[in-house]
Order: sequence, then structure tokens, then C-alpha cells
Amino acid sequence: MKASTIVVAIAVIFIATAIYYLENKAPNTHPVEFTAPFVFGRFNVPDNNPLTQESVLLGRRLFYDPILSRNHQVSCATCHKQALAFTDGLKTSVGVSGIPLKFNAMSLVNLMWGPQHFFWDGRVSSLEAQAIEPIKHVNEMARNIKQLLMELNNDEDYKKLFKQAYGEISEQSITKALANFQRTLISANSRYDQYLRGEISLTPIENQGRKLFMAHPDTKVILRGGNCIDCHSQFLTSGFASKFDGFSNNGLDNDETLQAGLFTLTQNEAHRGLFKAPTLRNIAVTAPYMHDGRFTTLEQVLAHYNGGIKRSKTLSPLIIEADNIAKTQIDHISLNLNDNEITAIIAFLHTLTDDEFLTNSAFSNPFMAASDDD
Amino acid sequence: MRNILLITLAIVFISGCSEPSKTANIAATDKTETSSTAVIEQASPESSAVNIEETQAMVLLSGLPTLGTTDSIAIIDMDPDSANFGDILYDYPLPKFDAPMHHLYYSPTGRLYATGLGSQCSLAEIELVRNAKAEPIISNFECLNTNGQNVGEDIMWHNVNGELTMFVTFMGGSDLSQVDTGTVGVFNAQNNQIIKIIEARQSQVEPGQPYIKFPHGISAYKDRMVVTSSTHPTMPAEVGNTITIIDLNTLEPIETIVIEDAKPVGFPSSPVEVLFVRPSIVENVTPAILVNTLFGFETWKVPYNEQTKSFSAPEKLYDGATSGTAVPLEFYGNKDELFISHGVPGVVKRYDLKQLPNLVSSGEDIKAESGAHHMIFYKTAAGRELIAIQNNLLNLGDAKDDDPTDIDFLVKLNHHSVTVHDLETGQRLGEINFKEKYSKGIDNIEALFGSGFTHHH
Repeated sequence: MKASTIVVAIAVIFIATAIYYLENKAPNTHPVEFTAPFVFGRFNVPDNNPLTQESVLLGRRLFYDPILSRNHQVSCATCHKQALAFTDGLKTSVGVSGIPLKFNAMSLVNLMWGPQHFFWDGRVSSLEAQAIEPIKHVNEMARNIKQLLMELNNDEDYKKLFKQAYGEISEQSITKALANFQRTLISANSRYDQYLRGEISLTPIENQGRKLFMAHPDTKVILRGGNCIDCHSQFLTSGFASKFDGFSNNGLDNDETLQAGLFTLTQNEAHRGLFKAPTLRNIAVTAPYMHDGRFTTLEQVLAHYNGGIKRSKTLSPLIIEADNIAKTQIDHISLNLNDNEITAIIAFLHTLTDDEFLTNSAFSNPFMAASDDD
Repeated sequence: MRNILLITLAIVFISGCSEPSKTANIAATDKTETSSTAVIEQASPESSAVNIEETQAMVLLSGLPTLGTTDSIAIIDMDPDSANFGDILYDYPLPKFDAPMHHLYYSPTGRLYATGLGSQCSLAEIELVRNAKAEPIISNFECLNTNGQNVGEDIMWHNVNGELTMFVTFMGGSDLSQVDTGTVGVFNAQNNQIIKIIEARQSQVEPGQPYIKFPHGISAYKDRMVVTSSTHPTMPAEVGNTITIIDLNTLEPIETIVIEDAKPVGFPSSPVEVLFVRPSIVENVTPAILVNTLFGFETWKVPYNEQTKSFSAPEKLYDGATSGTAVPLEFYGNKDELFISHGVPGVVKRYDLKQLPNLVSSGEDIKAESGAHHMIFYKTAAGRELIAIQNNLLNLGDAKDDDPTDIDFLVKLNHHSVTVHDLETGQRLGEINFKEKYSKGIDNIEALFGSGFTHHH
């Protein structure tokens, strides 16, 4: 073999190796930097989906892009609007089919802290797993994933963004990007957050509501309480991280009408009628309330706990027991709060609204932002 | 505080302090009725991911100039089952002040504070946050304006007329040069602004009138607060022997009560820490004040009549001089027991909480090390209940050689260690000696999530 042939062969091998390396090397990503309140607790980001600037950029675009739906008219943001703390204001959401879904849209906030089980009935165990469900659901986005991947591959912007974030376009990288964008939806500047940091004082009625919120009533020591904290101890984040803590039956239905709830996942009868206690952050802007959106106002919610509880076999014992007057009728369950106390609790709930979060441009529709720039 | 060191020299000699024990037991603490609920208000962490942090503690560390180290706040792995036990997980260097920071406290709303033994920073707020790796880090350390009050000791948060209020004892008061100095600072708990400085120097009040002198321990029940009179921070001869009651309706001292009997080392008793035993600690208890006397070696009870708002004559409950202990320091409590640390010989005694305000033993002493002082309570990931005891009195040292700890007579009270024990059995499970491991002294320990005890002050 001639020397020139050898040289050419080596050059070809070198070039091929270089091309292969360049095409397959891990993307050069940059970590997202932030600080959050210590008291939110520790959080975990999956090792196989580090929180990078590139993945968040991609996830934000996907979140707002109706390309994820069959008819190109429904995006994640259709049911998760920033101004409503990423809810939609509907009793239950409506997707591509036009058929109302079973559940009220959950707020998306502080999702890094808490849940091992997502959705009202806890049916998935990670943000990544959660992200794909609406895309595939026949009534929500009804997207054929193969077709979606084809369309994304035909989009030069997406090709570039996926390459930078994950190196490739795949179902996994779609869900990872959506999950990471949602992880960045951090809210920590409500009036209550500011109060905790010592930056402001609450008004007297807000403070009264705060104390009621935190207290389990005890008539023996004349401690009045709203009993809220018993189920909503993780009210500043997105729930509990341990097993099924945070799921409870809050007395919405009797045994005859009890819905499946956590039973859907566990097939355990003791879990029938148990739903996730959601975050209460920004609760004033996330009406209607409950998993089925049956209450349109916070006043209705408080009225429920103050006399509308329906007894069932899995009703939370904390709700059964809580009463601000010594129980005289064992069958009647009520907090027995007075009107002033109800007003105070609602005033406190309003301190959980984080206007900065609701208007943070980092969480807004990037297509609108680009349009505004134009 | 420097005079404490001198006096403890005498104590150690007189009490015949023995060699540090090689086995140990447990102890516990007790905190204000409000501060223990602090972190709860901020959605206390509960996940399994958090468990690794439930076995972490914050410590105030003093640099040892002769060993080339400087002051810092550190987070330590306190899990004796961990390969990283005793490791510093995070270290925040502190500015150089004229004296070490002394105590850490979480407020009822979860804010972190520290008192300091000097004049340059006698009270500070520490901002604790998490970074993007979820790690706790300190983002800010701010010395607060005390209007010239020196030598901060204890903090208590208490509701006064419906407002959460922060009270701080300043042993050095507003003027360290006065022989009867000492103040109680009253602060707005939200914005840290001073509401009032409670000052009533003995030389400035009429004979027989209540006074405040070298206040150290602090506790409260409803509208009555008690502070101790311990020792002058810079004048060794000036030692107190009283407690003073403050009316929280007026923020004025109303009664000074002598807490003294024998003087085992020839000095006044020096009441140090105090606990107002109250129904929030023990259901249906008849309220009373418990007082430890640093140089009297005793624990006293002062009964309180809630109806007449009057205090009865003090009763001595425990006599260390006849029981082989000295330098009683802290009260800590959990749901079942009250724990009292004794610097000499380095033990923590445990008592049945339900029997308070009387001291009825609930088990054998926990054998720590000389200088047994502050404590934390926590659980391992496996659910084992532990107590960690900081064995170190003070890192003030000898000014003439600028060495905060390498002083012979302090060796007996500055073991520089934290010992970890099984709470139930007292068995020692581990020891971290900060001087040996990090060339630093340890001033205080607090669990990362707030102490794990329910009663302190």
C-alpha cells in the first residue's frame, strides 16, 4: 500500500471520528443558579435530569407551545395560566376533545419541594412522568408522540434547543424539559414570605387568621383554631415527599358518592376518597377549589369546613375531632368558627399571593415575549 | 464573662474535678414556649430527603489564634452511623469581633439569631437559605443595633399584649465600666428594632427596690418574666446572687429575689439559667421558677401563685456541693424529661417532666465530658433517638496571650467536644473533638431544624 493511501485512510478515520464525536458528545450545559428559603426543606433533582439553563429554556418553550396537542390549539399553558398561579379558572379543565376533564387544574408552584405523587389522586411519581400524561391523554392534548417527534425534528429552532439541552429529540427529553421548567416555578415572595423574613408586619386580622390557620382547636385550653395546618403543613410548597402523607379525605362526599382518589393508585379501600392536600400558595387566585372545582370562593371552602363536612368511612379523624366548642352532637362535624374568624383566615390566605411570581417574565409565554420584542 | 473563667478555676480546684469520663449519657434542653414552634410555621421539612439534615447541627466555632484558626458558623454531620460523622459540611467564616458569638436561637417564625459576648456584635441575625444544590448556606450575617448594649446572652420570644416580642439579656448592659451593669433589651420581633432597654442598676434605685444586674438566663409565663443576675463580664469580683421579676405589662422590674445558701467556693451564687415551669410545659402544673446557680452548684425552685401573682420563698432542690457536681448550666426538656447539664464533672441529669417543678430523677446521669453545656435532640434515619451534648464552657481565654482556650484551668471545663448518646440508655455513640479535629473551640450547638427540644427558658 502506498504511503499516500495510508495517509488518506488515516485522515478519513480521523475526520469520521471527529464528526462522530461532535455529533454525539454530551451537550455543554450550564446549571441553573438560585437560592430559596431554607425552610422549604431539601429537594431532589433527578440525577439523569440536571437542572440546566438549556433544559429550562427548552421546557418553557414547549410548555407554551400548542405543538404538543393534536390540533395545535392546546398547550400546557392552556390549563396552567401564569396569572392564575398556573391554574385555569375552570371547574375542571377542557382539552382538545372539548369534554371536561375529571379534575380541576392543579397549581404549578414550588414543585421541587414535596411530592412523590403527582396529580390529585397521586397516580404518577415524578414530574417527568407527570409531564407526558396530558400530552397523550385523549381528552387533553391527544398527541401522537411519533408525529410530535417528526414535527419537532422539522423545526430548526427546536432542533437547536434540544441539541443544546439533551443532544437529541425524544419523548424522554420532552418530558425532562417540561419537568425542569416546572421546577423553576419557585414562589417565595408573598406577603407571608416577607413576613417570615421580617420585612413586613401582617395586619391584625391577617395575624389573627395566621394564628387560627396554625392552630388545632382545643376547648380544654380555650385555644381556637381553624385546623388548617393539620392537613396543609406543607402549604408553602407543593406537598409532602413521604409516601402518601398529605392525602386525606376532607369530607366532600359521603360513602355513597365517595370518589376513588388515591384508591386509583393503591387499590386500598382505606385510600378511597383521599385526595392530595394541595399547596395553598396563591390560593386566592386559583379558584375554583377542591379536586373537582366544586367551590367557587374561599368563603364556600370555609363554609364547608365549618358545617358542610360529610361523614364517610375514610374521613380524616383530624377533621372529625376538630371543634371550637365542646362537642354536644357527636354526629355533627363543624369547626364552629365565627364569622370574624372565617374572615380572618381568608385574610391570611390572601397573604399567600405572590404577585412577583404571577408576573415573573421568566415564567411567561416566550412566544409572546418574542412578539413583544418585535 | 472573663471573671467566670477565673472563678471556675477555684471551682475546679475546690470540687476536685476528676478526669474526663470515658463513657457518657444524655441530656436535653428547653426553649421558649414560642420559639420551639418556629419552624413549624414555615412548613417544617418532613420528607425522607430531609432526614439526612435532621442529623445535622449548626455550631458556633471559635478560632484559636495560637493554632491559626478563625471564628465561623459550621454545619456538622451528627449521625454517628454515618461515615461522615463529625465532618464539617459547610463553614461560614465570621468577621473578627472582640469576643466570640455565643448562642444560636431560632425565632418562632424560623429566623436565626446569635448573641455575642463582646461589644462589637452582641446580637446578630443570620440568613439561612438553600442554594441550587439544596444545600443550606448562610447568605447574610448582620449585627443588629442594640443601642450600645454589650455581651448578649440569652434570647426569648414571648407574646406581650398580643405582640410577639424578642427579649435579650445583655450581661454587659449599656456601660461595661459600671460595677452593676446589665440590661434586658426589648425588640420588635419583626423588624429587630429596639422597643425599650430595661435597665435598673442597683446603685441607681432606692434600697430595697428591684434591680437588674448582669442578666443572663431568661424565662417567662404570661405577664411575668424572670432574669438571673450572674456575673459581671469584665470584673471578676462582681458576682450576683439574685433573680429579678419583670412585669411585662409595664416592662419594669418589680421584685428581686435572693437565690443563695451556702457558698461552696466563697463566691456569691451566680444564678445562671432559669426556667419558668408552666402549663405549656407540664399540663396542669403549678407554675414555679427553676434556677441553676453557677457558683452555688445548686438548683432552686421559686413557687409562683398565679392568682395573686406572687412568688414564695426559694427552696433548694438540688445541692451539687454534696452530690459531687458543680457549675450547673442549662435546662432543656423534651416531652417526657427535663435535663440539666453540670459542667463538673461533665454530666447531664435527667428528671421526670411530669413531676416538675420538683426534681424527681428519671434515670441515670448521662456521662458527657467536662464543661457539659448545651444540647440538641434528634433522630437518626433509622429512628433512633439521640442527644448530643456540647462539652465546653466558654472560649474567652487569656487576653494576655490572645489565646481563647489554651488555658490550664479551663482544660477542666473546656473539653472542646460534642458527645453523642443514645437518649434512652445514655450509651455514648460518638465524640467529635473540635480542637483536635479542626483546631477550633465550640461555643454552641443547635440542630439544623431547630433543636428538637420543646422547653428551653
